[in-house]
Amino acid sequence: MKLPMQTVAGALALPVSTIERWIRQGRIPIQRSGADVAFSHAALEKWAATHNLSFSLGGDQADDHIPETLGSLVSAMSRGKVYHRVAGEDAATALRSAVDCIDFLSEDIQDELFEKMMERERLASTGIGNGIAIPHTRDPLPRPPETPVITTCFLEKPVNFNAIDDQPVFVLFLLISPTVKHHLHLLSRLSYCIRDRAFVAFLSAHPDAVALYSRIAEFEKQLDDI
Amino acid sequence: MTRLLEKLKYPGRWSLFRSDDRLLLMIFAIIVGICSGLAALFLNRSLETMLEWLHHYRVYWWAIFLPAAGAALSSLFLEKIVNEGAGHGVPEVIYAVSRYGGLLRLRSGFSRLISSCLTIGSGGSAGPEAPVVMSGAAIGSNIAQAFSLNDRQRVALVGCGAAGAIAAIFNAPISGMVFAIEVILGEWSTMNIIPIAIAAVAGTEVSRLLKGNQIVFAHRDFNIHFHDILACVGLAIFCAAASILLTRALRSMHHVSKGVAVPLWVRAAIGGSMVGAIGYFLPYVLGEGYHAIRTAIEGGFSGGLMLVAVIALVKILATALTLGWGGSGGIFAPCLVIGAFVGLSFHRFLATVWSSVPWVNEGCFALLGMAGLISGILQAPLTGIFLVIEITGGYEVILPLIVVSAISTTLCHYLEPASFYLKDLVKRGQLLRPGTDARVLTDLSIQELLETDCICVHPNMRLADFIHIVKSSRRNYFPVEDQQSRQFVGMIHLDDIRPYLFDPAMHHAVLTGQLMNTHVKTVSLHDDLAEVLQKMDDGHIFSMPVVSDNRFQGMISKATLLDQYRKELMVQTDRY
Repeated sequence: MKLPMQTVAGALALPVSTIERWIRQGRIPIQRSGADVAFSHAALEKWAATHNLSFSLGGDQADDHIPETLGSLVSAMSRGKVYHRVAGEDAATALRSAVDCIDFLSEDIQDELFEKMMERERLASTGIGNGIAIPHTRDPLPRPPETPVITTCFLEKPVNFNAIDDQPVFVLFLLISPTVKHHLHLLSRLSYCIRDRAFVAFLSAHPDAVALYSRIAEFEKQLDDI
Repeated sequence: MTRLLEKLKYPGRWSLFRSDDRLLLMIFAIIVGICSGLAALFLNRSLETMLEWLHHYRVYWWAIFLPAAGAALSSLFLEKIVNEGAGHGVPEVIYAVSRYGGLLRLRSGFSRLISSCLTIGSGGSAGPEAPVVMSGAAIGSNIAQAFSLNDRQRVALVGCGAAGAIAAIFNAPISGMVFAIEVILGEWSTMNIIPIAIAAVAGTEVSRLLKGNQIVFAHRDFNIHFHDILACVGLAIFCAAASILLTRALRSMHHVSKGVAVPLWVRAAIGGSMVGAIGYFLPYVLGEGYHAIRTAIEGGFSGGLMLVAVIALVKILATALTLGWGGSGGIFAPCLVIGAFVGLSFHRFLATVWSSVPWVNEGCFALLGMAGLISGILQAPLTGIFLVIEITGGYEVILPLIVVSAISTTLCHYLEPASFYLKDLVKRGQLLRPGTDARVLTDLSIQELLETDCICVHPNMRLADFIHIVKSSRRNYFPVEDQQSRQFVGMIHLDDIRPYLFDPAMHHAVLTGQLMNTHVKTVSLHDDLAEVLQKMDDGHIFSMPVVSDNRFQGMISKATLLDQYRKELMVQTDRY
């Protein structure tokens, strides 16, 4: 297989000018055809091996596009659905009934999720103030969903969640992510929305799913525009 | 027809040589070896003719001006006609090999031949070897250029030229090969050794065909005893002393002659006439001195201890006068002469002090002295050993020869750390042997190390906007450019904004222009990498902005440098 100079430079992780100098100095095996320089894949690989140089073609682009695959809040929320009038007397019972709402999880996993979320609550409350809590596990579940999910639960009546501002919590955003990276991405987006006072007021009216999604979509548009 | 010519011009593209150029190099090595051998023979023959022709006039008093005329003409020729510096040319070849892939000018192929022929033929005390090395190397280089060979192949052919020249002039293939590798290339790799060996053989064969297969300095059989080997230690000390004396004399002569404010050719003439005056009384010191060596080795030299010692000293003086004042020629042959006379005087000294000991023939000591001087001056012990063995055909002296060479090289190294050929290069920082730090740094250019993934900002940006750029960047450094002229005005490091990062009130109140550091150390694209590293070390910094024509070009950092440096080193120290 013949390779162009650009590809060879990329495969060796070197600038093209270095490859050009090596050609001039006769340090790299080449095949000339007329005025053009071509590299034979097999010969180059052999040469790189004898010099202990790493030589790999392509496959490095995946890293650059991660922000796009992390997904948006709206998609995560629509996967998790919105529930109203979720019952509960205190943090534990409210969280238990919220977890029970998540219908795509089997009962075992719901139990596990609840245990882990309570564990996280014992470390520090996820009640971040203004009556909002974002319960989540410290580490991703052993068998997490492939895409992140946010289940929104408006509580029947506000409960004491040991929130940082000691206000009773009226809405829970249960955040379940496949990786920590997804988790941080969504958490940062969500906290951007919650910082907005008008949004908090909007939430306190227990809006329906469609209204919530469109409001969130507006925020995400702002975030993407910056 | 044109296609055929085109094909002939680029033999490196023939399918026969494409996968492996060893065969190509071997064929070219033969051609280069023959050409440089012919150049060496040409100089040798013309020197003999000239010396013979001028021999009849030596009896007249005005003969003392002959070396002056020769030196002046050679200086004029070099300066005005071919526009090349005086000196023997070996450092230039070594520098060209390490810095420019062995690129030499075509005129170097003959300029030193003619100038040294004028200097030595007229009686100047210098050697023809360095000039033939220079022209052999230039021939190799130009043949490589004519056929568009790459740098590595060209360097090999330069070595071939040098090897062929030395091999031809002394009828000594191994010395030619060892000299080219030990002194000229400084790198022992099979890639080079094979073509160079072939060139040495070709050069020798040319010389044998045209001159006959004769040993340059034939001698009688030696019967060497253990006490002779012991005495060699003493001889080595004398040789080392003579080497140091010659090196120092040459250097001080250079200084003295530089202080004389006259044109170069007048300077050469002054030195030449002094040599002429000395030669009027001691004709042994004139010319390249092969004849004197022959007499010394054959044991046919009749003078006493004092006379022999004086000849050795005066030869040192005459060589310093010839070369130090601007004559053209090498140091090889004078070294052999001085060595031979040092050996002779040491033998006479031994014979006087311990007259009852049956010392070996004085020719043997002359021969050992030659090896001692060559090893001491060139600090190339292998060249010294093989040269003396080959030019005298005396393998039986190998043991004392190694002793003398080793001790003399070591002693000289104490006092003169760099050899005669290399000391100027070392002084200028131009000795760039393959696989060394200096060489890797010279080969890499800043252009190749440039990191261009920095995001430029302008000085009128608010901190809030800047923080947003920080989010999307992977770097901690941000060059600041003027918005209109795009000129580089300063740098911002993440550390500079850290105190204000979490203070939202500042985000809209502060401009980047107020945060940037305007007194940054910068480097330019064409700076020397060794100096850039020195700057980094001095300032304890890991990366610096590269600025050319007031425009930001990129960053250069030690991390990227290490990565590239390692790759470069791995490729340079190849043994495939």
